Amino acid sequence: MSSWLPTNPSSRRWLGLAPTYLVIGIFMLFPMIIMGTYSFMEANPYGGVKPVFSTAAYIQLAWEYDLDNTLIFNPGYLKIIWRSIELSVMATVICLIFGFPVAYYITLQPENRRNFYIYLITIPFWTNLLIRTFAWIIILGRNGVIELPLLSLGIIEKSLGMMYSDGAIAIGLTYSYLPLMVLPIYASLEKLDFRLLEAASDLYASRLAIMTKIVIPLSKPGIIAGCILVFIPCLGAFIAPNLLGGGKKLMLGSLVQFQFASARNWPFGSALSMLMLAVVVIVLILYARGAKKSTAGEKATES
Amino acid sequence: MAATAINILEVSKVYNPGSHQALKALDSVSLAIHDNEFFTLLGPSGCGKTTLLRLIAGFEQVTGGEILLFEQGIENLEPSQRPVNTVFQHYALFPHMTVAQNVAFGLERLKKPKDEIVNTVNRVLALVKLTELADRRPNQMSGGQQQRVALARALAPSPKVLLLDEPLSALDLKLRQAMREELKQLQRETGITFVFVTHDQAEALAMSDRIAVMSNGEIQQIGSPTDIYEHPVNRFVADFIGDTNFIDAEIISIKDDLVSCRIGENTVFEAEDSGNHRVGDRVTLFLRPEKITLVADAQMVNGESHRGSVTNIVYLGNQALLTVDLGSGIELTAQSRPREDGNLPFAMGDSLFVEFSKRALRVLAE
Repeated sequence: MSSWLPTNPSSRRWLGLAPTYLVIGIFMLFPMIIMGTYSFMEANPYGGVKPVFSTAAYIQLAWEYDLDNTLIFNPGYLKIIWRSIELSVMATVICLIFGFPVAYYITLQPENRRNFYIYLITIPFWTNLLIRTFAWIIILGRNGVIELPLLSLGIIEKSLGMMYSDGAIAIGLTYSYLPLMVLPIYASLEKLDFRLLEAASDLYASRLAIMTKIVIPLSKPGIIAGCILVFIPCLGAFIAPNLLGGGKKLMLGSLVQFQFASARNWPFGSALSMLMLAVVVIVLILYARGAKKSTAGEKATES
Repeated sequence: MAATAINILEVSKVYNPGSHQALKALDSVSLAIHDNEFFTLLGPSGCGKTTLLRLIAGFEQVTGGEILLFEQGIENLEPSQRPVNTVFQHYALFPHMTVAQNVAFGLERLKKPKDEIVNTVNRVLALVKLTELADRRPNQMSGGQQQRVALARALAPSPKVLLLDEPLSALDLKLRQAMREELKQLQRETGITFVFVTHDQAEALAMSDRIAVMSNGEIQQIGSPTDIYEHPVNRFVADFIGDTNFIDAEIISIKDDLVSCRIGENTVFEAEDSGNHRVGDRVTLFLRPEKITLVADAQMVNGESHRGSVTNIVYLGNQALLTVDLGSGIELTAQSRPREDGNLPFAMGDSLFVEFSKRALRVLAE
């Protein structure tokens, strides 16, 4: 036992945990502090920030200066934020509608086949998201895979305009994050005791009632986890909105990316990020409350 | 004769038919279960008793034959459409619902009016003595309590037939014995036909009106508990129910229903025979240990009395099982009660007489 190591147990515990704190500090806390700090500085037109305290970035979220230097309300950015939340919710709901049956189907397969299906679900992760999103341009675009046959058969007369719409963004987001919905739902369905379904059908439950009264309530933790895992990255996504929304239909993620890359307004980008962080934290707090409630129920039941 | 609740007509069940894993679980089983009867399917694991229950409930489809429920075919009915309810071996209570919600589940699916549901739930919970625990979750309860919830849940919709799949097997001995009486009483009070599956012969004897003993997907014998215990038709039934001595013998003479049997070279026993055996047949005799009296000196006038010596003793508290060697290769297990001072009347190696009446020794029909 080396003599320089602390001897009392609580210091030793700190020492053991030190690598974890170091990693969290460097890779999570530190960048966030930088972001928070930048959001309170002035923009440097050539990129970066000027080290001068300013709340301009936050004011810019909802107001702009008129010619006579008075603040007037400008909901432009707030609209984008609201649209982002709307589109993310839409993508999450679509993911849930498609993801749940997929997860349920996999659960019903024989055990040795389930891993194969899970493997199939994760295959898209092996290629770049950018490339996969480009593929959707070919599918949805003018004279694309869908439109061209319809046009040449005379079923439609002009382009459907599927690209560069909210719908296209929602499809892109759904496609990108569907696996993140399927996997946690599968994880909780896999633990489901299928004898409960027999018991329910013995007690006169129709197939629909078995689903709504037994299967869905018992897989709620997976459903909630899946929704969070899809909603949060959707909110910050910029590839799908940029490529499929054509850059005109901005979302929060692409707006942030735009501030850092083209507009050279780092403080405003940082302020937007902080706002997004706030939205995410609120969602997570709501989730934690729900989870606490249900685990408190389970804890009580275990004793 | 009571009406027939369930008529099982030559029902066969094969799992995975056609594949190399095909497994014959039931082989042309026929039986009729009367209304208001406590009927038990008894047998070792893998004998097909649970399969039969699952066929009645509708969780499995018959491969051949037909099941009639109150004279109506139920083949095309989903489990949810059959007026039977099941108490599952591992209860299968819904973990996300309270006791009251569990019990109300079936009634709600049947779309009963709200106040009727509340009344029925209260009445059934009172019946199984769980009124105070109505708001608990299943995993806040002991095994015995969960058992009662499962029972209450299955009874609440007032099924015509209640199916019970080894409901007591997960309970400890004392609780199991208490539940036996409660189940029997519940059956009498509600008048519902109970079909009870178990591998525990004591449970079957204690509760049933009639028992079907099953083995290898076939029914071996159907009868009242006394019938099955006293007049088993074959070696399997005699062996499965209670402790038994088996003696291989050859019939040498027959007089009415009493036959003389030769055992080994020169021992002759007289036994009761209800089967149609002839002189020269090789048969199996059986003798329950409690029908044997062990005495130090021969007393029996009209019966069998044979000298032997004690070769093994199994002490069980209220009694002991003694193995007695009668010579010429015959060993019998006999019951012996401890004396008032708690000591057994015989010790290892003691010489004694084994006595039993002629009617105690029986020839197995098959």
